[in-house]
Amino acid sequence: MASRLILEVALVLAGAGILLSLWRLVRGPCPATRAVALDTLTLITMPLMVGLAVWTGRGIYVDVALVYGVLSFLGVLSIARYCDRGV
Amino acid sequence: MIFIDLVVCLLAIVSAVWAIIARNLVSAVVLAGVVSLAVSYLFLRLAAPDVAMTEAAIGAGLSTVIFLIAVRRTEEEEKR
Repeated sequence: MASRLILEVALVLAGAGILLSLWRLVRGPCPATRAVALDTLTLITMPLMVGLAVWTGRGIYVDVALVYGVLSFLGVLSIARYCDRGV
Repeated sequence: MIFIDLVVCLLAIVSAVWAIIARNLVSAVVLAGVVSLAVSYLFLRLAAPDVAMTEAAIGAGLSTVIFLIAVRRTEEEEKR
């Protein structure tokens, strides 16, 4: 029962982090700021998916978070390369 | 749990609208990546992990790179 409460508090804190990243995403003056906000959102959403797997008790949900973690750096890397000297 | 779903839905809607009205094309590409991320979580919430995995692979890996290459090529065409 206590672990359920801890999971609920962690999910609400992740939601607050998503709202703050959304603020930076909307207000960001340049594309590099928005790329950092995208990376932050990915890093918040991955534990959210794992928490959903714990909440529902289905282990297949962890694989989605794993695939997203492996592939998410590719987009940020290409944006950084574009800002530096082009793709 | 419904709070997180509402926050992610808000994230998807705001990012999609902002991707349409953004003046900078690279910002629009980044916001499209955020839409893909939020939609992937919503697919997972709707108990479709295979669709969410495909959306993660296509949206995060492939779509951003291809859009950036397209922006780069069309910039070179516009400068001529």
